[in-house]
Amino acid sequence: MKRNLYTFLSLVILASMVLAACGGGAATEAPAPAPDQPEPPAPEQPAAPEAPMFSGTATITFTQEPDNLNPLYTSMWFSGNVLDFCLKGVWSFDENNIPVLELASEVPSLANGGLSADGTTIVYKLRDDVTWSDGTPVSADDFVFTYDMIMSDSNVVQSRYPYEDYVTSVEATDAHTVTVTFSEPFAAWLTSIFTFVLPKHVLQPVFDAEGTIDNAEWNKAPTVGVGPFMFSEWESGSHIILRANPNWVNPPKLEQVFIRIVPDDAAQEAAIIAGDTDIGVFLSSDQIEKLEADGTVDVIAVASGYDEGWFLNVSPETAHPAMLDVNVRKALALATDRFTIVNDLLDPEINPANVTFWDGTSPYGNPDLEPYPYDPEGAKTLLDAAGWVDSNGDGTRDKDGVELVLRYITNTRELRKNVQAVVVQQWSLVGIGAQLENYSSDVYWNGYNDGGPQAQGIYDIAEYSSVGNFPDPEASYNWLCSELASADNPDGGNWQGLCDEDLDALLMEQAVTLDVDKRIGLYHEIGKLMYDNVYYIGMWLDPDLWSVNIRLQNVKISGADPFWNAHEWTVAE
Amino acid sequence: MSTYILRRLGQAIPQLFIISVILFALMQAFGDPVATLGARTPPKPEDKERLRRMLGLDQPPYVQYFTWLVGNDWQKLDMDGDGVPETPGQRKGILRGDWGNSLVTRRPVLEMIGDRLPNTLMLMVTAEIIIILLSLVIGLYSALRPYSLFDNVVTGLSFVGYSMPVFWLALSLMYLFAVNFRRWGLPYLPTVGMFDPQVGKTPGELIKHMILPVATLAIISIAGYSRFVRSSVLEVLSQDYVRTARAKGVRARLVVWRHALPNAALPFITLIGLDIPFLLAGAVVTERIFAWPGMGRLFIDHTERADFPMLMGILMLISIAVVVFQIITDVVYSLVDPRIRLE
Repeated sequence: MKRNLYTFLSLVILASMVLAACGGGAATEAPAPAPDQPEPPAPEQPAAPEAPMFSGTATITFTQEPDNLNPLYTSMWFSGNVLDFCLKGVWSFDENNIPVLELASEVPSLANGGLSADGTTIVYKLRDDVTWSDGTPVSADDFVFTYDMIMSDSNVVQSRYPYEDYVTSVEATDAHTVTVTFSEPFAAWLTSIFTFVLPKHVLQPVFDAEGTIDNAEWNKAPTVGVGPFMFSEWESGSHIILRANPNWVNPPKLEQVFIRIVPDDAAQEAAIIAGDTDIGVFLSSDQIEKLEADGTVDVIAVASGYDEGWFLNVSPETAHPAMLDVNVRKALALATDRFTIVNDLLDPEINPANVTFWDGTSPYGNPDLEPYPYDPEGAKTLLDAAGWVDSNGDGTRDKDGVELVLRYITNTRELRKNVQAVVVQQWSLVGIGAQLENYSSDVYWNGYNDGGPQAQGIYDIAEYSSVGNFPDPEASYNWLCSELASADNPDGGNWQGLCDEDLDALLMEQAVTLDVDKRIGLYHEIGKLMYDNVYYIGMWLDPDLWSVNIRLQNVKISGADPFWNAHEWTVAE
Repeated sequence: MSTYILRRLGQAIPQLFIISVILFALMQAFGDPVATLGARTPPKPEDKERLRRMLGLDQPPYVQYFTWLVGNDWQKLDMDGDGVPETPGQRKGILRGDWGNSLVTRRPVLEMIGDRLPNTLMLMVTAEIIIILLSLVIGLYSALRPYSLFDNVVTGLSFVGYSMPVFWLALSLMYLFAVNFRRWGLPYLPTVGMFDPQVGKTPGELIKHMILPVATLAIISIAGYSRFVRSSVLEVLSQDYVRTARAKGVRARLVVWRHALPNAALPFITLIGLDIPFLLAGAVVTERIFAWPGMGRLFIDHTERADFPMLMGILMLISIAVVVFQIITDVVYSLVDPRIRLE
């Protein structure tokens, strides 16, 4: 008996030790540099005339982990934010969404000859003093290579927009000039062409050897980059480390940027308050007071184009019959007290009511439009006139035996559920009933073939925040007749069943209008048309809330490229 | 004994095969992986169609299952969308050791599991050892002095610990020891992560960052386990052979160590044997709150994205572990309990 017990105990101990050893051993291993990657230059190597001094670490929390660090394979927002540090494109956008030159030496325009008069050719002039972090010069060939990789059928890239639909060729005219030819004028070029460039000298050999760069080591360890910081280390689920790049034209002041993945909102809040992180994001307005209480943290609101709003289903096949009547839709707007909702559940200074889909993408929102007021009496009058009256005395209006009960859907976000609850109450005052549905985000956004409730039109009102190609307003695929989702067009992006010829014409025109002022005017017209026909009801502007610890200075967050000025950041000790 | 083990392993093969079919069928309900690929910026319609084709998601589920199982490297695939297959397939299938690539990160599933498994084991094995030791000590002590002050206090605390939601306990510990202790000028613990970037990933930092997550896991489980040990020991102490041992004058300490504990430990072995495979799965809530990069978070993150190759990989790994550790448990049982003979 005794012997058996010892055998058992020693087995347990042995098993625990073996498990603990694999656990501890592997995790405490120092990350080995990838053998085929060039060693990053040591910081003391003099690159500029006077050797730059780097000091301090900025710690940033991300609530989601980037999928991949090769922008070819992800369009994820957090991945793009990492690349603000280490993989610049032709230009960035500053905190006022003005382009700041990075790899290009000028923004092409009609005046400097970069933009052809017919709008189908754009010439990018590149700086001749920029090098990759390993010292190789950045050249026009890198840009052509990037285009080739995006379009290659052997790379499973995330998106070929806009190259597939609009670009016919990308050519290196000389070492520092790239000429892009378009099939038709492409209005959104400023924000969507060459927002990144790939290092040909690193990836071409991989492509030649493997026939694809899908599995390139560089995708998860882009050690050769171009920007104020260089990628240093990415430990899955834990952190990403970037180090100062002495070879960058604007050398940074900080020595290191440490990005930590903290998926839980409450834990992120604790880390911000404790000072364990300098920058946090995706905060909510009810956290502001707590975060700022100690005076060590500033919370800033940065518009990134997101507007919370109601997408109204107007499809004759799937919508409630009342939704087809513009007066009923207008009554919905009048019967909803958005001002109280914002005051009670949000912060009216950060989240003022929006009118059009483009209010967060200044200057494309129409400034002449006023939000529909809260006017329950007006709503009643409109509903009466439209024939929706409570004929059976059950408290809900009806017409031809159909009750006015609308399917109001959204995802499971707590704030949206609260809004639903308030709205149901407000609607009941004018005799509109509501059937509330909340879907988990993956189901909510599912496509037509996967039974997505929006894509299949199983709703009357869908609430969410959305944006175009910020800071460009392009979001036509939400509204065009050709994008109507159906069994024949399951990937269509128009989930509202909306097909309005006038709107279609305006959307098509703005897409090819390169004159910025004219395009703004077209968007104001689009906004007015959608406002008058009540195709979209704005709820509130939904800027991103960032926290910045006061020890980190000169941080200017931009909506399009949040960390565009990371080279100016300093740490106060 | 070895025939027994071989027979059990033989039985495990069809068992795992059936598990994989069921899991793959369940994966079909997860929704469209392509729809959530862009997170905040969903892919454009034409990109969705192309991605589905290139990732093979437009194939019927049984074709996808066979590709996952045995690969497709003898077939040609249509990557350019002209309806004519031209590109040779790359997959070898799990039977030939290719666990597939994550749809989300495009990295090999096995490599991603390999990144996370050591972290999870570090956290979970430490917690499990503490749980086993403390629950044995507490349970035994309570059982030997039933209804004493210590027993009553521990019983009370057990119920408090057992009924506490993990997320609440984790956040409370974090706010107390990491946020408020720092405010009050006391020695404090870090909030999240595995180490302080200013210091680097040293063993000291790892231990410091493990204290709160391990404490969270331990508090919740010790509560239940110590009750289990207590009742098990109490039951054994009232058995005839214990009374006989006492009657013939064996010293109290010897009665406990030689007669009571080994017998009381038997059901505890089963419990631990069932636990061990799930140590690999990690602790979803604790890992999430303390930003510990383990398997639980890997699973949850990829469930939200309907990343079925990743999920299949994790679930099959756990299934294999369950099967293997069940066999080990049975073998250990036969070693410690002479009444059981494996044939």
